[in-house]
Amino acid sequence: MVTIDMEQPEGRKEGLRRMLTIRLFDETAEKRFLDGDIPGFVHPYIGEEAVAVGAIGALEPDDYITSTHRGHGHCLAKGLDPERMMAELYGKREGYCKGKGGSMHIADVDAGMLGANGIVGAGPPLATGAAFSIQYDDRDQVALAFCGDGGIAQGQVHEAINMAATWDLPVVYVVENNQYGEGTPVEKQHNVENLSDTAHAYDIPGFTIDGMDVTAVYEAVAEARDRADAGDGPTLIEAKTYRYRGHFVGDEEEYRTDEEVEGWQREDDPIETFKQRLVDRDELTDEEFEQLREEIATAVDEAVEHAREAPTPEPDEAYEDMFAQPAPEIQHFAAQFRADGGERGDDR
Amino acid sequence: MATIGLVVNPAAGRDIRRLTGGASVVDDYAKRRIAECVAAGVEVAAAECTLAVMPDSAGIGAHAVSEAPAAVTADLLEIPIEGEPADTRRAAARFRDEADVVVVLGGDGTNRDVAHEVGDVPLVSVSTGTNNVVPTAVDGTVAGAAAALIATGAVDPDAVSIDHGMVEAVADTPTGESRLQGLATLGVLDVEFVGTRAILDPSTVVGGVVSRAFSAEVGLSSVAGALTTHRPETPGGVGFRLGPPEAAAETVRAIVAPGVIERVGVEKWRPLAADESIRFEVDRGVLSVDGERELELQNAVVDVAPIDDGPRIVDVDAVFVAAEGALRTDRLE
Repeated sequence: MVTIDMEQPEGRKEGLRRMLTIRLFDETAEKRFLDGDIPGFVHPYIGEEAVAVGAIGALEPDDYITSTHRGHGHCLAKGLDPERMMAELYGKREGYCKGKGGSMHIADVDAGMLGANGIVGAGPPLATGAAFSIQYDDRDQVALAFCGDGGIAQGQVHEAINMAATWDLPVVYVVENNQYGEGTPVEKQHNVENLSDTAHAYDIPGFTIDGMDVTAVYEAVAEARDRADAGDGPTLIEAKTYRYRGHFVGDEEEYRTDEEVEGWQREDDPIETFKQRLVDRDELTDEEFEQLREEIATAVDEAVEHAREAPTPEPDEAYEDMFAQPAPEIQHFAAQFRADGGERGDDR
Repeated sequence: MATIGLVVNPAAGRDIRRLTGGASVVDDYAKRRIAECVAAGVEVAAAECTLAVMPDSAGIGAHAVSEAPAAVTADLLEIPIEGEPADTRRAAARFRDEADVVVVLGGDGTNRDVAHEVGDVPLVSVSTGTNNVVPTAVDGTVAGAAAALIATGAVDPDAVSIDHGMVEAVADTPTGESRLQGLATLGVLDVEFVGTRAILDPSTVVGGVVSRAFSAEVGLSSVAGALTTHRPETPGGVGFRLGPPEAAAETVRAIVAPGVIERVGVEKWRPLAADESIRFEVDRGVLSVDGERELELQNAVVDVAPIDDGPRIVDVDAVFVAAEGALRTDRLE
């Protein structure tokens, strides 16, 4: 059973709802970061929603995903709770990592979300490892790695794909080509026009799809998942998409023009175009869409309120949850910290 | 001085059928080599013709220009490039006035885009993928030489080219009329979305019209070709309605995609004269052109007919038969 059945009207509405949830969540996170409310760093996924929702929609619910530094969309598409995510962004104890990971490190292993990741290109090796565990234990699952157009050029990504291709591991690599690696346009980073062309080097299928069309992403990942599940090995999919915002909130974006951004927003917006297709086929009305928007906006606002009021972790909790087995050195430093009467910091 | 145009589509031949079927891919590196070979082939008549090359986002055309043999004058066309099919159309519109013959590197879709704008200028179509009907798998050098022989008048284009037909769908929808043209095939599919574009499941094809039908082709022209042979230069085409093989009036075996032979159920079929349409009522579905899903429809009435007006396609072998003797040179003393 797929996570979101885009073959059915209810599934399509759910796909739209998740894309809109990502959009509103990140628009809100952006505002609260600019207010100085959210600490750390925020990399909005706005504009790229169709990739996360289409790809994860085609997976089964207990499949694994690995994410990137721009991970909010992957988390929400995987069904993570916006309230616990927002709490994590605010550094609060109720967050997915007890407030110690922040925006770039949200993980929920039970949900199959193996972690957002501040290291560029670190998702594919994790997914290759997860896929190895699936093959080793003969489980009926697949792993999917998200990676950016910058990340795909990292050495460890090559190692990860090479290993998975050689061992026919059940994994799908999705390259989110949002046209810029930080501030560098994709044509200044790569010698190939389509990043999926690199699949030839591993003798696996690779193809490029329209990452602004949730149905195209869904269909492509569904085929790649079937291949992985059948024991035929990995597939490399490049989804051409666009990042509406800067690399991070606060990026001055001197590397591109407003006209370029507006052109994508006007002609290719993944939410607007998909909404219109559902309206055209009488599966949704404009009123229902507005109602959906209000419901989600309310839920996101509530998540912010909740996160603001939630308790922060105690400073000595920094020593917890680091390793599965207690590590003597860490226990030693934790004991010393408590003996020194370590005090709780302010709410930030 | 005669002019040869060169169109390269960097996006051609990248569809998902490589995953689901046996289609193979020609990557940009291979396309660069093919384009380079086209420029080399022009050398058979380098003194009498120039090569005008469409620029593209992958730099394939620019490579062909820089790697052209010293004797061949090659230049990039000055047109804007967006990385869209519009680039091909823009180049073809220029070639309509400026070229004597055009070499096209791409698939059926690229040739269709060229055909829309290029008028009567003959096309030497080189396939850059396995999943095509119109272009032929021919070495770039051979294509370049054939183009040079035509451009310089050594071979009469009329004697070695055909007027290819096309197919047109006129869809009457609640929001207005939509028109769509295919070069070889136009299909009506019972699927929800355009999605990844390729036709993944042949059983979703409800019917269609083709401008050519031959069993040795791939896709809907193979389905129609199992029923009758219709040459691409013969006016008109073939229309058909398909259904589940177990319930259909008859069944055929067809090469529906590279690596995939299927038993296809045929409810009805008939030859169609040019402009003679058959009608499909589409509550919800998608129209495909030349093997790719193109247009989502709801509550539409679609009339599909073969039409004339296709491009002139050069038979490369015929060029060399007609040119027999033209490539003889004086023996060096």
